[in-house]
Amino acid sequence: MNKAKSRTRTTLLMIFFIIVAVITLLPLALLACASLRPGVELMRNGLNFNIDWANANFDEYRLLFSGENAYFTWYKNSLVITVVQVALALFLSACVGYGFAMYDFKGKNFFFMLVLLVMMVPTEVILLPLYRLIVNMKLMNTMWGIILPYIVVPMLVFFFRQYLSGIPKDFLEAARVDGCSEYGIFVKIMLPLMKPSFAAMGIYQGMQSWNNFLWPMIVTNSIDKITLPVGLQSLITPYGNNYDILIAGSCFAIIPILILFICFQRYFIEGMTAGGVKG
Amino acid sequence: MKKQGIFKRFIYSKKVAPYVFIAPFLITFALFFAYSIVSMIIMSFQKVSGPNTSFVGLENYKILTNAVFIKSLKNSAFYTVVTCALMIPIPMLMAALLNSKYMKGRAAFRSILFIPALTSVVVSGVVFRLMFGELEGSFMNRLIALFGAGPIVWLRKPVTVWITLFFLCLWRWTGVNMMYYLSGLQQIPEDLYESADIDGASTWQRFRYVTIPLLKPTTVYVLTISIFGGMAMFSESFMLFNGNKSPNNVGTTLVGMLYRMGFEQNNIGIASAIGVIFLAIVLLINVVQLFFNGTFRKER
Amino acid sequence: MKRKVIAGVLASAMAMSMAAGTGMTAAAEEASTQGTNTFVDGGTEMSFWTFQELHVGFWTSMADVWNEQNPDRPINLTVTTGESHSLHSKLLIACQAGEGTPDMADIEIGYYGSFLKDDYLLPINDAVEPYKDDVVMSRVDMYGDKDGNEYGVDFHLGASVCYYNMDIMNEAGVDPADIVTWDDYVEAGKTVLEKTGKPMCAVETADLFLPQLMMLEKGAQYVDEDGNPNIATEEHAEVIDYIRNMIDLGICEVAPGGGFHTEEWYGHLNGGGVASIAMPLWYMGRFTDYMPDLNQKMAIYPIPVWNEGDTREVLQGGTGTSVIKYTENADLAKDFLAFAKLSKEGCTYEWNELGFDPIRTELWDDPEITENKDNKFLSYFTTNPFDILKANGTDLTAPDISGSYSATYSTLVSTTYSNAFEISTDQDAMELLQGEQDSIIY
Repeated sequence: MNKAKSRTRTTLLMIFFIIVAVITLLPLALLACASLRPGVELMRNGLNFNIDWANANFDEYRLLFSGENAYFTWYKNSLVITVVQVALALFLSACVGYGFAMYDFKGKNFFFMLVLLVMMVPTEVILLPLYRLIVNMKLMNTMWGIILPYIVVPMLVFFFRQYLSGIPKDFLEAARVDGCSEYGIFVKIMLPLMKPSFAAMGIYQGMQSWNNFLWPMIVTNSIDKITLPVGLQSLITPYGNNYDILIAGSCFAIIPILILFICFQRYFIEGMTAGGVKG
Repeated sequence: MKKQGIFKRFIYSKKVAPYVFIAPFLITFALFFAYSIVSMIIMSFQKVSGPNTSFVGLENYKILTNAVFIKSLKNSAFYTVVTCALMIPIPMLMAALLNSKYMKGRAAFRSILFIPALTSVVVSGVVFRLMFGELEGSFMNRLIALFGAGPIVWLRKPVTVWITLFFLCLWRWTGVNMMYYLSGLQQIPEDLYESADIDGASTWQRFRYVTIPLLKPTTVYVLTISIFGGMAMFSESFMLFNGNKSPNNVGTTLVGMLYRMGFEQNNIGIASAIGVIFLAIVLLINVVQLFFNGTFRKER
Repeated sequence: MKRKVIAGVLASAMAMSMAAGTGMTAAAEEASTQGTNTFVDGGTEMSFWTFQELHVGFWTSMADVWNEQNPDRPINLTVTTGESHSLHSKLLIACQAGEGTPDMADIEIGYYGSFLKDDYLLPINDAVEPYKDDVVMSRVDMYGDKDGNEYGVDFHLGASVCYYNMDIMNEAGVDPADIVTWDDYVEAGKTVLEKTGKPMCAVETADLFLPQLMMLEKGAQYVDEDGNPNIATEEHAEVIDYIRNMIDLGICEVAPGGGFHTEEWYGHLNGGGVASIAMPLWYMGRFTDYMPDLNQKMAIYPIPVWNEGDTREVLQGGTGTSVIKYTENADLAKDFLAFAKLSKEGCTYEWNELGFDPIRTELWDDPEITENKDNKFLSYFTTNPFDILKANGTDLTAPDISGSYSATYSTLVSTTYSNAFEISTDQDAMELLQGEQDSIIY
């Protein structure tokens, strides 16, 4: 193919993706613009790019960092919950996925159906019974109340099962012959093999935990225990929306998960690819 | 000592090991979900008032004939069908384009497109509500004003509400689905394209006859999660309308209806009945779908 | 190497936030989303949920006053707020489970029926008894049942009035004082439209204040005596037709944002987009907070009536504060609740800080209150709201919120008015209402 033609293609592709990127970033850019304006302004003129630079300021951020609100308590809660839940969910779901992928055992299909069942039950559907359980376990208003029911994540199990089914089973037999125990195989051989998929699912689960709303909202009820999305949402009151903190806080809320993503996004693709989503 | 030995041998046996591996799931299932799901099914046949319950037979299932329920069912179905129709071809095409050898700056675009998925639904709901606000100065109204159109009341008319919901969905999930497709593309052997080239296939033909069929596993996966996500949609609508109260129920979904019955109007029995109906529908769709695609087939 | 750096960054970010978090605990209690009163040794711990951050200050201040006056029964109150819809749902789930409820809660009028239905609230008759002669009882009775039990007390009287933008009215040459009946109002609206090009009023599609006001003036309710939905009535159809006629004439518009509590509406009203709005007196606070440009331009007059000579007074909106059944301090909670809401101290605070028209009648004649030039509400408006309260007396019509009201309300504000005024504007009102009534699940 000649050079001119390939250059045209490159240009066209670049133009297309630049447009897509602009559209994608637009709502967030609007949010960032809004965070530089007073909340009242937003109410009067709507969300747009008109910034009166003379009046633009960082007051909203100053308010956010002033310590006269609980924003960073929520931030901390969300961080802790995300880290703990991601770590536990990754390890436990990997165990379960491994069990389903590598062994044939009685009731395998039945148990896997249960995994799918849990995957398909939105929290809203079982909210009341689940709430009763958490209350009876004395886990109300605690981090564990938020985390425990979702410590084995069906989506992850599903993914790890797919991922591992790509690995030949003879591999396992060879290890067994070498005298490795079933758990030894998992820890010493499989876990290292699964690294890329951990990155991928770590981002996925991090996203879910960091942004989870309904369940944490129901479980927590004091200001020092609520998570960031719940806290941000609590700023939306029917009579006086706290747009100042809401908008600046929303901007700031994206940062940690963004860092996480940018650092690991390379592995994300790798992880997805290596084992492959095989449906 | 000997006892421990037996125990150890038992736990370490190849027969028991798989159960140990899936134990974490079985435990959380037994602790949380078994009770919850069963209790929901039982409550769907009861009138529940606080701690007092009484059996009412199929009374709660009369909701099936309620106009608003039917509307919410239709909304959920419509949303699911359209999002599947949007969220499969568009990300697939974009992944293919991004994967093209003529493309530069892949990683940067990949990251940018993924960013919306990282924002919480609380944040994106607020932004979209304001962006699609009906004030003359709101972003979308300024945008259409450039083309000479007057301000639109976006969030109170069915057509524009749906446009907003689909745009929100596209905005949040295109990047994620594109990632799935990108990784699917990495698995397609290069020589298949080479032989297609030898046969003189055009770019489109290569996409049509090589890429699409070989991406089928990814498509199945994306379809599964899209169907589930579409049917379970609630928080997008909740955040967009600042409560579970869209005008004329344009954005009221099945789960929204369940939430309204159970946790706004204190009709737990009816809410549970909706839950059972919901589960039946989703399970049916997904199981049929997975069976067709061979997820349960015994591996050779 | 790179990964180590990343891990380091994440770890330090976390450490930083944690440090910020612990340092914050004390400050957090000052925050508007949660508050406590001045701690009293040996006080009974009580929790309170509200969906309105402005109420936090009220409750904690009242707890302080209570502790001062009742040193033998002190309270340590923790007040938590959240977004309204989620908070009501959360409270309902806690009530359904019978666990995790606060001792007391503010419950918005639209949700009240959901809580009353299964007796999640405690009757407070005996606590209210001592205040009976000093307050407008129809405001208290409405949070009750047919057996004469009272379950909640409101923050305010919530008397409906008409707010006029005097710039627009003067431009049109209309004196609001001359408007007595709705027909007068419509005539005035025509003049306003002709002279200024602005609509006289607005109607909500996501709430029900204007139609409800008109219904109550006709003595009609949304639920019948037995609590069943009753929206397909002659009176309701008349009201809808009346409003539709105003819309057709161009003197009434559908409120931007669909309701009187949306950003769009605040902007519209503040910008002088509409000549008047009929809302309860507690809406004064919305003006002082969100309509800075209308300062000294708004006047308050009585609402129009159907026939000359009718009482120009109905009550609307509101929040019933109630004691939740699962509390361990029922008597203390009841007494505190009645004191906070019905005592002179409480009502004075509510008026001064929140702009709530007092439920306690003696305040209407107290010049220190009614003539207070420093009061931000009195100084914002050009007329005195107390003149209207005094003129109308205490025999007031309150909405019936019993039985299926919550379910009915939900239907009205999500579909009925949206259909009636915006989507199916040509459909016969009675036919539309019948269809809506059939869709209510109770």
